[in-house]
Parts: sequence; structure tokens; C-alpha cells
Amino acid sequence: MKILITGATGYVGNSLAMSLANKGNMVNTLVRNPQSEYVPMHENIRVFEGDITNRSSIKKAIAGCEQVYHTAAMVKLWAKDASAFYKINVDGTKNVLEEAIEAKVRKLVFTSTCGVIGASLKEPLTENDPRISSFNNDYEITKFIGENLVKDYMDKGLLTVIVSLSKVFGPGIETHPVSVNRMIKKVIEGKPTFIPSPGSYLSNFCYIEDVVRGHEQAMEKGLNGEKYILGGENVSYTDFFNMLKNISGSKAMIIPAPKSIATIVAGIQWLKHKITNGELSFTSKGLTHIYCNKAFSSQKAIQQLGYTITPLKTSLESTIQFLKL
Amino acid sequence: MYHNYYTLITGAGEGFGKALALECAGRKMNILLVALPGSELYNLQDFIRRNYDVQVIAIGKDLSEPENCFAMFKEVVALDIKINMLINNAGLGSTVLFSEASIQLFQTQIKLNILATTLITKLFVEHMDCNSPSHILNVGSLGSYFFIGKKQVYSATKSYIYSFSKSLRIELQSKNINVSVVCPGCMPTNILNTLQLKSSGRLAQLSAMNPEQVAPIAIDGLLKRKAVIIPGFINNIFLLLNNIVPDFIINMITQWQMKSINAKNLNTKSSVPPLQYSNTTPHYSLNLK
Repeated sequence: MKILITGATGYVGNSLAMSLANKGNMVNTLVRNPQSEYVPMHENIRVFEGDITNRSSIKKAIAGCEQVYHTAAMVKLWAKDASAFYKINVDGTKNVLEEAIEAKVRKLVFTSTCGVIGASLKEPLTENDPRISSFNNDYEITKFIGENLVKDYMDKGLLTVIVSLSKVFGPGIETHPVSVNRMIKKVIEGKPTFIPSPGSYLSNFCYIEDVVRGHEQAMEKGLNGEKYILGGENVSYTDFFNMLKNISGSKAMIIPAPKSIATIVAGIQWLKHKITNGELSFTSKGLTHIYCNKAFSSQKAIQQLGYTITPLKTSLESTIQFLKL
Repeated sequence: MYHNYYTLITGAGEGFGKALALECAGRKMNILLVALPGSELYNLQDFIRRNYDVQVIAIGKDLSEPENCFAMFKEVVALDIKINMLINNAGLGSTVLFSEASIQLFQTQIKLNILATTLITKLFVEHMDCNSPSHILNVGSLGSYFFIGKKQVYSATKSYIYSFSKSLRIELQSKNINVSVVCPGCMPTNILNTLQLKSSGRLAQLSAMNPEQVAPIAIDGLLKRKAVIIPGFINNIFLLLNNIVPDFIINMITQWQMKSINAKNLNTKSSVPPLQYSNTTPHYSLNLK
């Protein structure tokens, strides 16, 4: 089977490309820089130089492919130039969809985020639950618009499936300044780590191996136009970090930081940004997304796709082992 | 909560209506959601059922058709429940030049914003009487006070809501039914509004409030029996300025604003952004209020 993966130099795309190539599929990747250290290396993987914002480059990479995994996206909570989110996550997605139609691709899996579904209250959220708070960052807005585009194309001769990931961790390449893996690494190294206070806020962490398999299952069994949450266990920040410390034997300080203090830190960061024009890792607006419950249910994927969730303890053990190397 | 009193919210499928429904559910009120039939309505019903300790009923009806208002009332009566709070929120917003909009848009706007509110209030007032003390909340707009370009029909319908509410309030006082009107300013209720807001002026961005910020203020004001509820500090300042600044200056500002609208229109012939992100905008959204 010939398959195109966009975003193969990203964390999820890279692992997915290797998994598919290992199964004997011919995998085309579309990468901005073929010399990048993150380009997956495998005899079944062909590298095409290009970019999802450039349709002719997609055209070359997609030719003859039956399936497309569209994992490429700009994943950040903040960017100096917000229009980049729209160029990549919206226009880029539209380009991939258009080219998929032209190349007569059979099915496309779109990688999205649980952030589109939003914050939860008492019960873990499902794919159908309404958002209880307004969108407030360009990443989630553009992924939401991207999802709607993908749904629009389900009627245009292309089968489309959306998978929504929560916070992904586990062995793989390190491409983001803010990731669960980095947080885990900090704790293993014994560095003090801040968590939102109260630590009882729920979060959902999913394991990369489950997520990669989930993508393949979505391609195989996912119903046209449907969305599936590929998550992990719902766990409080306190429980997550306690488990992490127990397994790794780390003595790192876990410091619950109240929202008021985080707001002040965000304010100082913003001032620094105004002076030095540096990057922001979070904003005071974005804090609303951290100080809330984010519990998700993967039941639909489990029932319809055969998705499985590796127990958190097991997945943390392998991740710690990987990060210690 | 297992009492038989319900809060009826129209236009509850999304936007401000959804925020009001969640706010009321959080205050342990049983909820009767009325909205266009569709997944938004039933998903919200399901969500409230699972996450709040209240009863929730959903009725799918397009209230822009008068006969559906009557049908909805009949269904509610048949349920044998008591309505002690009525929130007339269903409405259709727009920001469009009078010459460019379709007649159908204006008809729907008038039927939904004016006729449906009037009919539903008329039908339920008698029904509510025996459940006193009761409340009616109508959703107006800051546009009831300010006359700005591109919102001719919309602002006029909201002015109706304002006058209607204040007059009805006097009549119903003796029956112990409180009538309040909430007049939100700029409130992005869907993704398109959010995007439009991003490209609008600083003042609009500063005054904008999310539905989930406005909803608690609206319900607080209603329960305190306020005649008019203006959410937000900046919106109140606007209103104050509007009252003290002489008319000729206000006229100058609106003239200037109209000029800039016309200039924009010339520049980008069809000034409406490409609405390719279609299924993000369900039919009835309370646009920029």
C-alpha cells in the first residue's frame, strides 16, 4: 500500500511513518527540510521536499497514494505571527484535501486535538459534547476549522476520519519546547516542577504507541466523517506526578502554583517579550486552558476501532527508561 | 433537583443560549431547552444530564415560524411541568448593508426576534402566573441604544425587545412576574464572530465579552429583578458617554463610521469574508449583539 504522511518530521508523524514502513507499506513523506535530523529513515520511506502550503509539492508526494495521514500542523499555544496558524492549519489542510481528491485518494485520517472539544466538568468528555467555554487561542480555533473542512470533504469522494489526541507522551523524537516528555524528563532529573494548583485538576495523557496504532485503526475501521478521541487514562496532576516520582525514584519537588501566581509570571513573560521580542511559551489568556479539568473518554474509539489504552504505569515505565538513555 | 419548576430557554442550542443553559443548570434549575432541531440541541441536553444534578428536556423547533411557537407551547403544556422562568433568547443577528441583504433575512429576523418573542411571552404569561414569583428575561442588545450602520433591522428588532420588556415589566409587576432585559455589547457567539472580532478595532476587542462571561451577569441581574442589565464595565461607559455627549458629536462619529464602512466596501467588493468554513455557523446565531 502506498501512503502519504504529512508532518513526518513531527513527534506523532515520525513514529507513525516508521510503524507503517515497518509493516511493509510504501510511505511518502512531505518534509520542509530533507536534511532534518527528524526525517524518518527507512528503506520503505521516500522523502519529498515540500510543504503543505505549496500545492504543487503536495501533488508530487501524493501521486499514486491510496491513503493519507495528515498530521502536519503548527502546534503552539502562541506565535508572534498568528496568521501562520491559519496558513498552515487551515489553508494547508485545505490544500491536502484538494490534492487528495485530485489524486483519487481513498481515505484520509486527520490528526486533531482534544483541545477542540475543550474543558470538562464532572464526566469525561465525548466527541459529541458541546464546548462549555469559548475558543481563546489560534491553535485550537484553526484545528477546529480544519476539522470542519475535513468533514466537508467527506461528501466529495474522499473518506475522512478525525482523530483527537490528548497530551501525548512516550518514546519518540523531541520537537517541541513544551511537551509531556520534557516535563517527565525534568522530574527524572530531579528539577523542581510546577503544576497547576489545586493538583486535583484532571488531565488526560495518551501513550504514543497507542496513538500510532489508533491512527492505523482509524484508517482501517474508522467510519466516514466520524471523529474519535484517542486518549489515555484520566488522572489528576498530583497522581500523575506522584506515580512518576515513585517509578523513577526521583526526589524532584512538585510545586502546585495557584493561578494568580501563574498570571503574574505570564505578565512578566509578556513584558519581557515586548522588550526583547522573544517567544512566549504561555499567555495569561492561555492559563484558562491549564486551570481546568480536561478529562476525555476514548470509549468510542475502543468500541468502534478496537483502540487500546496501555496502563499509565506501564507506559510511564517505558517512557522513563527511554528518556534516561 | 427533583422539583417541578423549569427554566425555559429559547435558542439554547449554541452561543449565548447555551451559556445561559449551563449557567442555570449550575444554579440547580431544571432546564427546558428549545432550539432548532439538530445534534447541537440534543448533545447539549445529554451533556447537561450527565454533568449537572438537574432535569433537562429538549424541544426542537424553528421558532421563526409562528405555528411552531404555538406547537412548542402545546408540547410544554402536555408535559405538565411548571415554567417559573422564561428566557427569550432565540434571535438572528446580522451585520450587512441594507441594500445587500436578502429580503428573506429581514423577514426571518423580524419573525424570530420580534414575533416569536411576543408570541411566546403571550402564551406563557398566563401559564406562569400561577407559579409566581416568576421571571422573564428578554435578550436585547447594546444596539437598542446605539444606531450604527449595517445593523438597521437587527438594532430595530432589539429596540422593540427593549421597549416591550420595559412596558411589560410595569404591567406584570402586580402579578409578581419580573421582566428584565439584558443588553450585551459585542459578544462573539460562534467561530465566525470570533474571527471577525480578531480583525475589528481595538475598542470592539476591548468591550467584547464571551457568552460564558455574560450569562452569570444576566442571571444575577434577573434574580435581582433589575429592569435593564448591561454587562461589562466598558459597555456601561459607552452608554454613559452616549447619554452625556451632545447629539452632533455622536452624529459625527456615526457619519465617520459609515464612511469607513463604505470605503471598506469599495476596497473589497464583497466585504464578507469567504464563508468557506460553512458548517461552523448554524442558522440562528446571536451575532454581534
